[in-house]
Amino acid sequence: MTGWGSVPQRAREFEEVALVHLDALYRTALRLTHSRAEAEDLVQDTYLRAFRSFDRFDPGTNCRAWLFTIMRNLFLNRIRNHGREVLEADGGMVDVVGTPELRPGGGNPEEEFFQTVLHGDVDRALRDLPPTFREAVVLADLEGLSYREIAEVIGCPVGTVMSRLSRGRSLLRRALGRFAREHGYVKEAE
Amino acid sequence: MNCAEFRTRLHPYVDGELPVSETAAADAHGVACRACAELARSEREFRQVLRRQPREVAPDELRARIVSRVRRQARWRSMPGRLFTPALAAAAAALLVAVVMPLARPTPSLVGALVDKHIAYAQIDRPAEMASADPAEVAEWFRRRAGLRVTVPDYSMAGIRLIGARLADAHERRAAYLLYEKGMTLLSVFMVPAGAGEVDLPGTRVTYRDQQYMTYERKGYRTVSWTDGQAVYGLVSMLDYDALLECADKLRWERASQTRL
Repeated sequence: MTGWGSVPQRAREFEEVALVHLDALYRTALRLTHSRAEAEDLVQDTYLRAFRSFDRFDPGTNCRAWLFTIMRNLFLNRIRNHGREVLEADGGMVDVVGTPELRPGGGNPEEEFFQTVLHGDVDRALRDLPPTFREAVVLADLEGLSYREIAEVIGCPVGTVMSRLSRGRSLLRRALGRFAREHGYVKEAE
Repeated sequence: MNCAEFRTRLHPYVDGELPVSETAAADAHGVACRACAELARSEREFRQVLRRQPREVAPDELRARIVSRVRRQARWRSMPGRLFTPALAAAAAALLVAVVMPLARPTPSLVGALVDKHIAYAQIDRPAEMASADPAEVAEWFRRRAGLRVTVPDYSMAGIRLIGARLADAHERRAAYLLYEKGMTLLSVFMVPAGAGEVDLPGTRVTYRDQQYMTYERKGYRTVSWTDGQAVYGLVSMLDYDALLECADKLRWERASQTRL
């Protein structure tokens, strides 16, 4: 039992390649769980699980997709184990609008306000999407994963990713149009 | 490329996922067809709206916790004679973790009483008063039932499954018991209140990861106990001391991080 004070080499390597994706994983976990506590738990478990299999991780492969895959599997297991749809849990819902951890947008106040309102709407609209479409849209449009990465994470062919994205986006647009009309930003139907 | 072909490729086109040759064809079609160009423009704009959303960042505290856990795990992995090896997993094991809440001077026989309780529980069919495999649910049950803030450690990675909980008395104090199972063997976690002042626990003093514990054997069961000032904690098991100390360490760690929150 040596070197208790020092950081093990393996841990350092892991931190270097994996921790850069923490924000992306956390944001996605929030969208999956709708709860800060659950999101933190999920992300933490994801990293610990990833570290345990880090020996088998090939440095040439895509770390981001690998982490997202682990997180997705853990999340699905939780849903199965708990016998409930965590996605729809309403206890401890996160109101992502105006939370302190939001990165300041820069730009003028009006624009920021507009973005914030829209952010709330986007969040709401995403929440209303069927989970399979939501995950494709979140990974592609909010986290910028490529089709191939998403296919790897979800475990489906690229063609399926494309059709889910197309369908998900069109549902999302429709919902956002509806909210805009509710807010009075837009008067008539799209 | 005609309009129909363009539209079936609209999303990959806008996402930059089309092969170069098809991208060029789609570009050319967009120049020629105003309606399709407008579709692409509108899709791009929609992407922009999504990408312009404020981006939340993970709390620093979460980052720190992950780093610290990963490092602990790395150290643990580099230890000789690692804990939950497959061989050990196969071994019949009963583990009892006693978490004793503030208690007035627990005597050596408190730990003994916990061992007796464990033996008794191991013999009944359904030892859990409240059955659940969900740590959060069990913690909530204690909160509602007895107003206790109980840390319910998750040992599932070591093949130790939470089966439930119960409330019972230990030395005329209300004790919280968490019950786990490894294979067919019972494992329990206890909590009993402790008062201020000295706490005497039986056995031999050991240090594990910079923390103090007492190890003590009774009726063939091993116990590991400790106190954090507010509470006395103990584990009782047929597992070896390494395993017990590992479980104790995890409980202690989870308890500490919960208290910090």
